[in-house]
Parts: sequence; C-alpha cells; structure tokens
Amino acid sequence: MYRCVFRAVCPVRQPAAHVFETCVLPARCVQVFRVADGGGAKALSTTSTSFCEKSDGVTPPERDGKRSEDKDSHLSETANSVEGKTDDGSKVIRMAEQREDSAVLKTSEGGAAPQGGVTVEQEVGKPTQVKGDVAKSGKESLLGLLGAMKVEVTNKKKLKNLKAKQRYEPAVKPNPAALESTISMFQKATAESSAHSETLDPDLVAAASAAASTLPNQSQAESELLRQLRRHEAVTEAQRKGDMSNLGVIIADMKVGRRPNRQNARPANQIRFDDDGQGYTHDRSITAELDGVRRRRNLFSGKRLGIFSPTTDEDKTPPPPAKPTIWDVDFANHLVLSTNQMPRNGFEEMIQWTREGKLWQYPVNNEAGLEEEASVPFHEHVFLEKHLEEGFPSQGPVRHFMELVVSGLSKNPYVTVQQKKEHIAWFRDYFQQKTDILQEADVYLN
Amino acid sequence: TEAIDPTAYKYQFQDDPYLAPRTSAEFKLFSLSQESGRSAAKYFINSNPKFFTKDFAEPHIPCLMPEKVSLLLEEVSEEALKERISLRKVKAAVDMYDQLLQAGTGVSMETTHDLLDLICLYSDREPVQEGGPETEDVVRQEGWRIRRASDFLKTIWRENNNAERIFNLLPERDTHCYSALIRGMIRHGAYVKAFDMYTDMLNNRMTADVRIFNALISGAPEVREKYNERWDLIAELLNQMNQQKVQPNLLTFNSVLKALRRCGSLARTQALHTLSEMKALGIAPSLASFDHTLAAFYKAASPTQGQTDLLQEVMSELAGSSFTCQDPDDVLFFSNVMRICLDNKDIELAYRVQSLVEAGENWRLLGDSHQQTIYYGRFFSLLCMMEHIDVVLKWYRKLIPSLYYPNVQGMRDLLQALDTDSRLDLLPTIWKDIQLLGHANKSELIEELLALMARETHSPEVQESFAVCALDVKSVFNGDRGTLSLEWSTSALCHITSLLLRAKRTQEAWEMLQLFKAKNRVPSEELMNEFLLECHAAGAPDRAVELVQLSAAFCLPATPRLAQQTLKDFDLTDEQR
Repeated sequence: MYRCVFRAVCPVRQPAAHVFETCVLPARCVQVFRVADGGGAKALSTTSTSFCEKSDGVTPPERDGKRSEDKDSHLSETANSVEGKTDDGSKVIRMAEQREDSAVLKTSEGGAAPQGGVTVEQEVGKPTQVKGDVAKSGKESLLGLLGAMKVEVTNKKKLKNLKAKQRYEPAVKPNPAALESTISMFQKATAESSAHSETLDPDLVAAASAAASTLPNQSQAESELLRQLRRHEAVTEAQRKGDMSNLGVIIADMKVGRRPNRQNARPANQIRFDDDGQGYTHDRSITAELDGVRRRRNLFSGKRLGIFSPTTDEDKTPPPPAKPTIWDVDFANHLVLSTNQMPRNGFEEMIQWTREGKLWQYPVNNEAGLEEEASVPFHEHVFLEKHLEEGFPSQGPVRHFMELVVSGLSKNPYVTVQQKKEHIAWFRDYFQQKTDILQEADVYLN
Repeated sequence: TEAIDPTAYKYQFQDDPYLAPRTSAEFKLFSLSQESGRSAAKYFINSNPKFFTKDFAEPHIPCLMPEKVSLLLEEVSEEALKERISLRKVKAAVDMYDQLLQAGTGVSMETTHDLLDLICLYSDREPVQEGGPETEDVVRQEGWRIRRASDFLKTIWRENNNAERIFNLLPERDTHCYSALIRGMIRHGAYVKAFDMYTDMLNNRMTADVRIFNALISGAPEVREKYNERWDLIAELLNQMNQQKVQPNLLTFNSVLKALRRCGSLARTQALHTLSEMKALGIAPSLASFDHTLAAFYKAASPTQGQTDLLQEVMSELAGSSFTCQDPDDVLFFSNVMRICLDNKDIELAYRVQSLVEAGENWRLLGDSHQQTIYYGRFFSLLCMMEHIDVVLKWYRKLIPSLYYPNVQGMRDLLQALDTDSRLDLLPTIWKDIQLLGHANKSELIEELLALMARETHSPEVQESFAVCALDVKSVFNGDRGTLSLEWSTSALCHITSLLLRAKRTQEAWEMLQLFKAKNRVPSEELMNEFLLECHAAGAPDRAVELVQLSAAFCLPATPRLAQQTLKDFDLTDEQR
C-alpha cells in the first residue's frame, strides 16, 4: 500500500500531452484519487488537466465541485504509474496490484474551481514526493491563488497525517529518519519559501540531498531531483512572467511523456511502503517494470468469462491416466510434424539419437537395458535349492543330477529367474512323466 | 560451438561441400532426398525382416529393427482384432469385428473403443501408407502446397458408414464411443451431425468429456452463420461444460479463440475475456492462444497504424520464456507476429520477437521450412525498410544463407535499401549473391540491378566493378552459363552499354551496339550522346560517322542533331561528310 504525499501542481499542460494512468482496482477499493494538475495558471486555467485514478472507473464524486474534465474514464492502456506531472518527477504513484486495502486516501482538493487546480494527496511515503512539494511552495507563492495557499496548508496537514499513518505501515521503512529530516526540511522550506530565483533554493537542494540519501543510488537520484527542481523553477518563472510561449517551449523541453518521468520514477518506486514486505524493489529497468505492470493490467485484467471457477487441488481428483488413444497418437504426430525437429549441430543430433535409443547413454551404464533385473535380489538367482524340495526325490541319482543342474543355473548370469524356474519346472515334469521307468530301475527313491 | 554459425549451412547437409544447398530449391531438394533415403531404408527393413533377424545391439535398439507390418493372426478372435487395430488396417479391422459379432463372441468395450477411434480418425478409409516410396515426409516438406490441397480434399464423412453402423449396433454406448464419433464427425466435416449426436448424448444423460467439448467448440462456427449466434453457441457449450463438471484444458481455450477468429467484431472483447479466464484457472496460454488473439485484433489488410500496444504486451508477457509446442497452431505464431510488425513498421518489436525466437528452444516453433521462410522474409523486409544499411548488412550476413534464402522480393528490398543509403558500390557483391541464390534468371531483378548501377556515374573503381558486373549480366543474357537465356530488353541493353562506356571499355560497348541491331532493339538517345562524347574524347571520327549512320538506321529523332554535332566537333574528311 502506498502512501504518497503527492502534490500535484503542475505547469500547464495540454490535455493531450499528459499521460493518464488508470488502474483498475478491485471493486472493494473505495479510494478514489483525483490527481489534477493545477492548471497553473493564467490563461490555461480552463484546461486543468487532471490525472485520475479511479477504482474501477468509478467517477470520483464531485466532492469539491471542481470541474474535472477528462477525469473520468480515461482508461488508457498506458503504464500503471501515474505520471505525475513532470515537475516533480517523483510523483509516480505505483498503483495497482498492491492496493487492495481500502485505506482511505485523502483527496484534498486544493484547487478550487477557478483555477481548477486540484491537489490530490495520496499517502506515499516518498520523501521525494515531499521534495516535490517544496517546489510547489515556490510556485504557490508565485501564483498566489487559492490553490497555492491550500497546498501549503494541506501540505502541513499531510505531513502530520503522514507521520500518523506511518504507524500503520507494517513493512520495513527504508529510512524513517531520513524521512523525518526531509519533512522537517520541507517544513522549513515551506515556511520561508522565497523562490523566484533561477538558482535553486539551498533548502531545496538540502532537501533533495536528504531525499536522495534514502535512495540506493544516491548521487544519481540527487542529480535527477535537482534537475527536476530546476525544471520546475524554470516553469514557474515562465509562468510568473506570464510568458506563455516560453512556457510552451519549456513544457516541450520537458518532454512530457513517458521517458523522463519514468526515469525519475525509478527512485520513487524504490521507496515503497507496501504491505507485502518487499521494501526496496530491485533496480530493474524501467521499461521492464512498466511492461510488467502494463501487461498485468491489460492482457489479463479484463473481465473474465466467468464461466469456470478455478478448482483447488483438493477438489479435483486427477483423472485416471487414460490409455493413449489413437487420437492422442495422431495429435502427437501432428505436433511433431509441425515443429522443426532437425538438429542444428552434432550435439543435438546425438541428443536425438540418445532419445531414440540409437546411442548409448553416457556415462556408460553396464546394466543398461537390464532394468527389470535390477529389482530381482541376487539370492533368488543363486539359492535355487528350495525349488528342489517338492517334486523331486530327495536322494538318489535324480537328486544328484538336479543339484548339478541347480548349481549350474546359479552360476548363469544371462538367464532370468523366471527362466531358471521354468527350467527346473521342466525337469520336474519330465521326471514325473518318467516315474515308472525310474521305479523300474530302482532309482526312484522317494 | 553452441551458437549458430552464420557462415555454415544447415547441419543436416554437412557432408560434402558440393552438396551444400545454395538456393531454396536446392535446400528443398536435398532435404527431401535425405528423408526419402531414410524412408526407403526403413521400407526395405520392414519388407524383408528375414534379413534382419540377428540383433547385434546391446542394449536392444527397437527402432532399428524391422517393424511388424503384416498380420500374423488370421483366426477370428479379439486378439486378431486388436492386432489389426494397432496396425491401423481399417477395413480389415471392421471385417474382423463383423466376423466376431456374427460368431457371437462379444468384443470387449475397450477394443470397441479402439475400433471406433480408428474408424473415426480415418473416416472409414485406409490411412495414407507410411514408409512407402512416396514418403510422408514429402507431405511434410512439400508442406504448404500439399497441406493446402489436403485441406480442401479433406475426407468427407460419408453417410451410414461403418462407424455409425457399429455405433448403432452397440448395446450400450458410453462416453468414449460418443466421443469417438463426435470427434470423427467434426474432423471430417459433418458438423451438424456432430451436434445432433451431442444432443443425443445429453438426452441420454451422459456427461461429455473435455475432448468432445473441444471438438464441438471448434466446429461451432460451421453450424451457425451470424457472429453473435456463434458466440452464443460457444458460450453455451462452455456453460454446459461447467455444469457437467468437466475441466477445460488448454486445447479448449485454444479452440475457443480459434473459433472467435470467425466471430467478427465480437472477437476482440471475448478474446481478452478468454485470456483472463485462462489465467484465472491457472492454464498458461500457449503461443497459439496469443496468435488467435492477435489475429482478432490485427486484421491483415486493415490499417492499424502504430497501434501495437496489444502486441507489445503480449511480447512482454512472453519475453524470455521458452516454449514447447502444445498446439499445432503454435507454429503460426511467429510468422503472424512478424506480419503485424511489418504492417505497423515497428522495428523494435521485431527485434523483441527475434530475441524470443533465439531464446531457448523456441526456434523449433518456427515451423517447417516454409514457415521459416515466411518469417525471415518478413523480418528481412522490415529491416530493409527501417534500418540503416549497416544494420541491414549485418543481419544479411547473419541470416543468409544459413537460415533463409531470400526470394526475389527480398533481394529487391535489399537493393532498395542499398539505394536509400547510397551504398551502390556494394552492388557487384550483391550480384554475386543473386547468382548464388539462383535468382540470376529473374528478369525484373536484373533490370532493377542494372538500372541502379547505370543511374549515376560513380568513381572509377566502382565503375570498373560495375562494368565487370555488367559483362557478367550480359553473359547471363546470352545463356553462356547454360541457364535459360533471357530476352534482351531495351533498358537492359542500354544500361549495360552505358556502364561499359563509363568504364571506358569502348570495344565492348561497340559490340553491344551491334547487339542492338541484332536483337531489334532501339538504343536510347542518351546512349547515343554518350557514345558521341566518347568518340570525341577518343578522337575517332570514323566511329562517330558510324554512329550517325547507325542512328539513322534506327530512325532516331536525334539523328540530325547527332549529325550536326559530329560535323561540328570532328574534322571529317569529305568522304565522311
């Protein structure tokens, strides 16, 4: 479960330019986020673009009565993470699968109607999110609109809530200490936000480094954060000066869209407070990550046919293995014919021959081909006298003869036990038949 | 080495370098001959078992020993029936069965099942003889041609054939019997009857098994006309399956998806739903499922510019995993995916597909040689279209000729790519490859090659190589190499001549001019100009006069101008005037 402190005050952006993420959450998740870009501004106040994440496409209730165009149902097929407006870069909200709890996330609508700036907070304990807020603070004072003021206010509220909510986090928190320090720094920055400078606020820089210290790749994250901050500053400058074209240029420069955000999203993603105990995720490549997320969302997350229900293992008894019918043989034949079975090199050819039985199995097993013999204990081969107990006279030449036969058989390794028994049985029958001759010769002593 | 050696030809042919296949025709021929050799050997062993009685091998190698192909048991008994069934002699088995029934001896249920299976599989006909001189591998290797034909000539389920007769004679019929009949009917085209039999079965309160359902689902599009009706039927079948507590398997869902391809616009949503269902039940979709789903989304001719989202997701899903073939349609996956990439001009995706092919054992799933050719052909044309020439050449060396013999279209794509990136100096090497691949007798290819060469003037050494190439082409035209001689065309003649001229091979160029006359082709005006310039440079006025005479003979409109120029540029003797 993520908590993100999320401030979205974004420079103006064309509605078309932003990336929407929607995550389709299970129905029971009742939280609704509205992430709206604070239209900043001036001329573009009418175009407040909003990022919506909705659960199951439920239209967020117009609690704040703010108009949200394209809020709803922009279920696009893009990556799951909300690309926060570019200005923070770190505002990626990793939605989706982990969010099953119905924790209420607050949506504070800072932006009232005129500006349409809506700030949505989601608690994500990302210090980088907090970072972003610092930038906002500069902007707030710049804009001087209600959204700005509210942002500041709610920021503080958020922070408190963040701290409060932190105790709900069961998972390992990467660096609460760092978080605290970041928060405090943030507060400091908020309090004395001066802004309007091309160079970054030293506090911002300090906060950025604090945030970055929590991340694994510190220097990179730090530089990224600082870069983002600079960008934000540039945008706020432009806005302040009311230079719309510049803004457009800057926005274009920001390359609103996938790559940079995703790039910056990585540090944010790595500090996730989620319940499944993962803590830090691995440093995967962003595309793979987002691919995974996208895939899970779109290919398999559609509605099911709902016809079958998955059986548990206890329920289904494995069907008795049926004798391979001619249909199965035919199917297997068809499969083999349709794929390419030719060996590509000598090794594969040898593998194929070994499977067919044309080649010995290496390392050479002396007893290959004699598997059933392996289960016959040796004493049945050797001690064959017990077969002489019935059917044969216990003394005399017949017995003598049979003992010789048995001793010969016991030394014979080539014949199976069954064959030996049959051998002896044959002799038994033979001597039974010739009983009268033997008695005549006075040999048959029983 | 474990990796594929791109400079070597296929392992199966590595015996004698003379027998290395260089063109696709040779490849087919050689592989067919290998297979036919093997089957001929098998045939000999099987038909003369008396020569192969002594068993040297320790342990015993069963597959090298003669198989039993002739009947041993002649008496009327169940054993004999089983033997006939195992030897797949349909008619003999049926006769034996009838004899047994007449004799009054019962036949066990199991044997009856097997008998019914046999009859239904072959639809009461004898199976194709295996191991005969016309090998089944011919069927396999000739692959696409014969397979298409046999698709159309599928055996028809005749009315009142033995299967039905025996079935009706059975005192009690169980699921297996029904399943044999239904599957046979679906396989051989009697769809309506199959459904009737299924309702019959339901009326007798029997539960069907999963194979019956698979067959019925695959036959569903044939018995209904409209899309939504088809889908309704399929859904109904699935519901009944659930009611009868029959667990679906992979093939069930694959048949659903395959049937969905014929359900028009419904296919998209329902296909996704089916995939989610599969996931929920824990059945991993195979390549065929993805193939059918993608086919529902990406129709062959409709323009879906740039929307490869679904395909990208599928690729991410599949990335890195190795598959075994679980469904005969798995092999169509790769070529279809490559077609989608080609249509959408998405080279990144194509690379991902290629890496999937190279992962694990997936190369086996490229199918037989025809499917492979299609796949690599599409991949190569996409490369030629989208990538820089160096990359194209890298892949060219990698794929050809170890994996793929390009056809004429592929070579033309390559020529185009060369042209786009202005690497026309590579043309002579490509020409050699063309000759190797056996495309040297394709006139349009040669035309294009010559046109590319002759279009602009290049640096001297390039020109020289072009000229050599041109002479080569000329010999091809003349049929010097014993190949079919092509008809000379005007453009070819012109191009060759101009190439020779530019490389300063005037003598040959003059011979070419004579050829013009011989073959009744008219040289172009630029050619005449070039010649004139050449004569001027060489200072051969009589040649120039000859030229003018020639052009007059051809009634070229440029004749007067040529004459004037000649007069102007040369000091002609009076006679020549």
